[in-house]
Amino acid sequence: MKSTHYILIIAVLINTMASCKKDFVDIQPQGQFLTSNYYQNKEQAFAALVAAYDPIRKNSGGFENMIALMNSGSDDHYTGGGNASDGNQLQAFSNYTMTSNLMAGSYWNDPYQGIFRANVLLQKLPDVPMDEESRTRFAGEAKALRALYYFNLVRMFGRIPLIMEPLTAATMYDVEQSAPEAVYAQIEKDLTEAIDALPPTVALATEGGRFTKGAAKALLGKVYLYEKKNDLAAAQLAEVNGTPGGTSAFGYKLLDNFADLWVVSNKFNTESILEETHSAAGNSDWGFWGSGRDEGNTLNVMVGPRSYERKDNAAPDLPSGWSFNVFTQNFYDFIKNDPRAEATLLDLNALQTAGHADYIPGYMNTGYFLNKFLPRKSDVSTGGGATELNYRQNTYVIRLADTYLMEAEALGATGARAQALLDAVRDRVGLPSIPVSMNAIKNERRAELAGEGHRWFDLVRWGDAPAVLGSRGFVAGKHEVFPIPFRELQGTKLTQNPNYD
Amino acid sequence: MKMLIYACVLFWLQAFFSPVMAQSITVSGTVNAKTGEPLSGATISVKGTSVATTTDVDGKFQVQVPNANSILIVSYVGMATQELKVPASGNLSVQLDDAGAAGLDEVVVVGYGTQRKSVVTGAISRVRAQDLENVPSNRIEQALQGRVSGVTIAQNNGQPGATATIRVRGITTFGDAGNNPLWVVDGVVVDQGGIGFINQNDIESIEVLKDAASAAIYGTRAATGVVLVTTKKGKSGKLTASYNGFYGLSRANRKLDLLNATQYATIMNEKSVNGGGNIVYPDPASLGAGTDWQDAIFNDKAARFSHEVSLSGGSERSQFYLSFGYQDQEGIVAGPISNYTRKNLRINSTHKISKIFTFGQTLAYSNQKTVGIGNTNSEYGGPLSSAINLDPTTPLVITDPNVANGNPYSSNPVIRDPYGNPYGISTMVGQEMSNPVAYIQTRLGQYNWSNDFVGNAWLEAAITSHLKVRSTIGGKLSYWGGQGFTPFFYLSATVRTLQNNYNKSNENALMWNIENTVTYNNTIDKHNFTVLLGQGSYVENYGGASSVTLFNLPITSYKDASFNFDIPQANRNSTSADKVQHKLYSLFARVNYNYDERFLFTGIIRRDGSTKFGLNNKYGWFPSMSVGWNISNEAFWPENKVVDRLKIRGGYGEVGNDAIADFGYLSRVVGGYNYTLGQSDGIITGYAPETLDNPDLRWEKTAQTNIGFDAQLLTSLNLSFDWFKKRTTGILRPVNIPGYVGVSGLPVDNVADMDNTGIEVELGYRQRFGDVLFGVNGNFSYIKNEVTYVASDADFIVGDASFQTMGPITRTQVGQSYNSFFGFQTAGIFQNQAEIDAYRNKDGQLIQPDAKPGDFKWVDQNGDGKITNDNLDKTFLGTNLPKYTFGLTVNAEYKNFDIMVFMQGLAGNKIFQGLRRLDIDNANYQTKVLGRWTGEGTSNSHPRVSTTDPNGNFTRMSDFYLEKGDFARMKLLQIGYTLPSRIVERIKASRLRVYLTAENLFTLTEYTGYDPEIGGQVLGLDRGVYPQARSFIGGVQLQF
Repeated sequence: MKSTHYILIIAVLINTMASCKKDFVDIQPQGQFLTSNYYQNKEQAFAALVAAYDPIRKNSGGFENMIALMNSGSDDHYTGGGNASDGNQLQAFSNYTMTSNLMAGSYWNDPYQGIFRANVLLQKLPDVPMDEESRTRFAGEAKALRALYYFNLVRMFGRIPLIMEPLTAATMYDVEQSAPEAVYAQIEKDLTEAIDALPPTVALATEGGRFTKGAAKALLGKVYLYEKKNDLAAAQLAEVNGTPGGTSAFGYKLLDNFADLWVVSNKFNTESILEETHSAAGNSDWGFWGSGRDEGNTLNVMVGPRSYERKDNAAPDLPSGWSFNVFTQNFYDFIKNDPRAEATLLDLNALQTAGHADYIPGYMNTGYFLNKFLPRKSDVSTGGGATELNYRQNTYVIRLADTYLMEAEALGATGARAQALLDAVRDRVGLPSIPVSMNAIKNERRAELAGEGHRWFDLVRWGDAPAVLGSRGFVAGKHEVFPIPFRELQGTKLTQNPNYD
Repeated sequence: MKMLIYACVLFWLQAFFSPVMAQSITVSGTVNAKTGEPLSGATISVKGTSVATTTDVDGKFQVQVPNANSILIVSYVGMATQELKVPASGNLSVQLDDAGAAGLDEVVVVGYGTQRKSVVTGAISRVRAQDLENVPSNRIEQALQGRVSGVTIAQNNGQPGATATIRVRGITTFGDAGNNPLWVVDGVVVDQGGIGFINQNDIESIEVLKDAASAAIYGTRAATGVVLVTTKKGKSGKLTASYNGFYGLSRANRKLDLLNATQYATIMNEKSVNGGGNIVYPDPASLGAGTDWQDAIFNDKAARFSHEVSLSGGSERSQFYLSFGYQDQEGIVAGPISNYTRKNLRINSTHKISKIFTFGQTLAYSNQKTVGIGNTNSEYGGPLSSAINLDPTTPLVITDPNVANGNPYSSNPVIRDPYGNPYGISTMVGQEMSNPVAYIQTRLGQYNWSNDFVGNAWLEAAITSHLKVRSTIGGKLSYWGGQGFTPFFYLSATVRTLQNNYNKSNENALMWNIENTVTYNNTIDKHNFTVLLGQGSYVENYGGASSVTLFNLPITSYKDASFNFDIPQANRNSTSADKVQHKLYSLFARVNYNYDERFLFTGIIRRDGSTKFGLNNKYGWFPSMSVGWNISNEAFWPENKVVDRLKIRGGYGEVGNDAIADFGYLSRVVGGYNYTLGQSDGIITGYAPETLDNPDLRWEKTAQTNIGFDAQLLTSLNLSFDWFKKRTTGILRPVNIPGYVGVSGLPVDNVADMDNTGIEVELGYRQRFGDVLFGVNGNFSYIKNEVTYVASDADFIVGDASFQTMGPITRTQVGQSYNSFFGFQTAGIFQNQAEIDAYRNKDGQLIQPDAKPGDFKWVDQNGDGKITNDNLDKTFLGTNLPKYTFGLTVNAEYKNFDIMVFMQGLAGNKIFQGLRRLDIDNANYQTKVLGRWTGEGTSNSHPRVSTTDPNGNFTRMSDFYLEKGDFARMKLLQIGYTLPSRIVERIKASRLRVYLTAENLFTLTEYTGYDPEIGGQVLGLDRGVYPQARSFIGGVQLQF
């Protein structure tokens, strides 16, 4: 029976191994948290808040950024790039052949990611053990962010789902679109609540970029303007603007020198109300380009000239780029005598002809590059990652010259205050006063805010888009909003915007 | 409770322990090889009984047979088994021939055991040592290529040491990693990327378990097929020492026909004029041929050599096998930055400790060093892509001092040749393209390395002659990394660095497993059966990675680079990460049964638990069953000279695949949603739920039916045929949920289904005609892939492959094969305006208003009367998956001469030929462009060239870019000569053979790129792949 003993021993051994298997194939993720055990203190709530801020980066971060897209569709720019299919999603907007297939999903998804994260935070916040002051402020910021994301979505897509708490696998296909009015109502509510909760100022050194009362008011004023609630808009914006040309109650003041707005190191200056931030410290690389880890400004490299070669000091010292968003000849003719022309636009054709610089022309090249955002040699990262993706220039979501002109517009482009607001913007760049009128404000916005992604929204809001963009292919009743991305219509209850397939 | 069941089963098995009683006859004799060499360790068994013995050191044996009518089966690994009647004299002298054409009698490895091929019921293909020993050693994947049916292998690129893409019976699941077969080396599961440590000459056999009925013993990891590698073991008896060595020279199979400077200037002029511009080059003819960038970087005398020494032998108690190998191979492109070295060592031994216990071990160590060009199949820079795209008008080296002293050469850290002249920088072609010879200088001193230790140790207790218990511990410990210095350089305005850096990365991973098996076999009357019970625990990916980069070192050359420089913290960059463990816990069982070797049955069941799956589906069962019938063993089978033996077999099984991302079932809050706050560029890590959780995540199930037969015809022809249908259901893939949900990561779910159906034929023939020994081995496979379901909410998935600015160029849709090419369909070229004007929709509008004569006419797929840039006018244009693969080996021996011809190829696939950078207008062209449309009637396939392309002739994904991928390659041609023994004996050797080999002598194909063999995630996406080398090799095999 000796063999029996062996068998028994082996059987016991096998069985012992078998009985410990329960733990053996259970492992927990390391360096991460589970939804069930996160949101336990103020620090974790703050990290969740930062995640809600993250999608603001879309303004000029990643290839599919807001400024590059909105510029592409305006009359001031061509998409440019390497060839006709470089940046298909931008090209299609530029020549008004956009379809739901070509519409880049990220313009829809990214704001919704911000909304999801704000929703998660707002859901968890009441139970987080933390001081009430911070809790109030965090909630205010989350609501302001949610409002900002919904404002961008509703302006771009019109009828969108209004989601106020995190969806689950079970509920995600039941969602329906809301009327824009309902979305706007929620935006107003969120911003109104945020304004009460937010601090008037933040410590710029460490908190620059976070929502303030002034930023929320400026945004609310802008929202009212888009809703054509001009009186309400003017009231909000007046508080933000204060005395035209002076320093407002929130500390806002126009910079003396227009060109200083585009100096990379000049972050959170007095003209900045809501600013999107960038850093080279993320060592951004192609592998996570456009994701939450990508902290660089991509717009910079996009608008740079291709294979740029500086031949002498008469030419700026620029790294090469991809030649997107070149200005149109029409815009050049409009701006060329304006004092802001030089800071706004770089005429590379002139430099090349004079032998100061060389470059390889891109698609639909005009030679007029977007100087506000041209990459600077001094701003090239010396850290890790791809140098193309680590530019540090912040971009303005809302700045004071914008709110001046918006208030003037909300005031009906008449009256002393509207005149003073317009004059202040012109005076800053040394231009004489001209009588305020809607037309004067429109021209001023085009010159002042050129290349910053406002023009297209302005044209649509004013109803000027069919006339100005008609030659590009703009069709009234269709192109005021983008098509909803193809994916969103698959298996969901969503319906496409009018006149798109 | 469990223990009780085990005990019961084992006691039940004991009931069969009763010895077989018989009236016996003693037979004794010797077993020799055809060469006369005595074979020790050959098995002599009595058919239909469990009686068996083995030969001793001198090849002698003695065995008791039940009666005079008994049949003796004499077998030896690698030799053709013989069945013999008991001689009246009781003396038997047997000469075994090597198995040659894979016979029905050889023994095959089936996972946790072996089986005679005559009773195998699954689909298993086999490559033996003698098939490989004359092949110049390479990576193991190349050794398998073209040698077995049903296995498609494509080198990822031709760089020395490059891995290959292997697909057993086509693709089993979506994505890339999940399609690699499971590699098991001597029982140790090894990841495919890490299989490079194996030395080809150490391989005794490779078995590929293709169908589920065979592979089910590997359960959840078997869906993609299992490759079992068995290394050589020592044999008791005479000590054998052998040396194999070769030296060879390699060069590219083919270079591309690119435009020379004059042709380039002509095309550029025409392009510019067609686009409304001016002539660029006033006098193209004056430019001559210009620079041939390919010539500048191709190495036509790339050396490769290999030395291998092995020693084996032992006593009856202990046997060992020892080998050492060293091989070195230079690349055919950019020689200084493309080469591969491998050193390897192996010690295998077996020891009989006592009558019951046997101990064995295998241990391999390998060191590999790979120097690579960086991009081996990419259009975004690197020497190949630059050589293809750079204009031939830029000189290789600037010799004109006026140019060399001007911009950009004077003001930038340009690379210079040994004479101090700067390498030319193109003014026509920018972006990532740069002078490839200068580029080589910037990558000197960059390399990757790896150290692998792989081995196992086992203890086997032969408790009775029927019952064996075996316990094995195995593992693989790997260290790998890379190191390299990047200088401060300027290759062009775009390709440059702003400071130097020095990087070092290290990774390590340990995988180990413990397996315990109990095997019981017995024969009762005519019932032969083997029962296997086993248990295994597996841990993979235990380790981590770290990387450090120093910037701004006070040096200029890689030769001076060191991590000892005192670099400020601000100029140090480092990362580190832990790997996520992958664990499995398994129980498995197998029953092999046959009745009189006529009716065959195999049943397998395995239960696996994996860390990859949700709580609700952590464990899965994987059953399989197969049956066979040896018709030719039936009494009614007529004696005939045509079909000697015939076995039909069929099986069905279900296996799994868990090669997916970790923690797909958990709702995790992860970092990485970062934002910058404050003036100091401070980045703050944001945390948010990554995606929706899926606790129901379960196994991807692959069910496979296999029907086939094995036959021996005309005594020397072996034929195997298999038909299979492989259905994968619940394919795990990220589900593209609506964006409004707001999660940044896509949840993984079991969604899609896919079928693979195919046939496989293997043929072996070996016959002696007088002095000539002639053999043919061939295999052929056909496979059809079809996606049957993708998801309830979508009818297609955007494909994995995208190309430059075209975006995705493949699509996965029901009814099509996985990742099929998807684009515009051309309908010729508009020869004149009248044809454009005639192409109208039903409303009378022009369908292509932007077209000009010389532009493509696009097919309006959706019939909406316009051609739009979204996906609506695209259609399926073919598959990148080969439908047919084949391999053919012909051997002949005449006296001391031997010759081998080995051909291999595939067909039925399309290749996307994406060699040219479309966003670089001035990029060079292949000479195909000379056949462009230049006027009515000049071309109906290649459109006009122009700097503007409103019709999208070149920027749209279309059939213009797709070419047939069919090829047949003369993989090996070898002529060998074995020196006569009287000469060999003089140096006390037993065998000396010299040979000449041509590897990849030629390739028959219509494909116009470098090489139609392109591996990678999407087979057949050619971005300028590093081509395969053609080598001429001379070698020596010496045995003592």
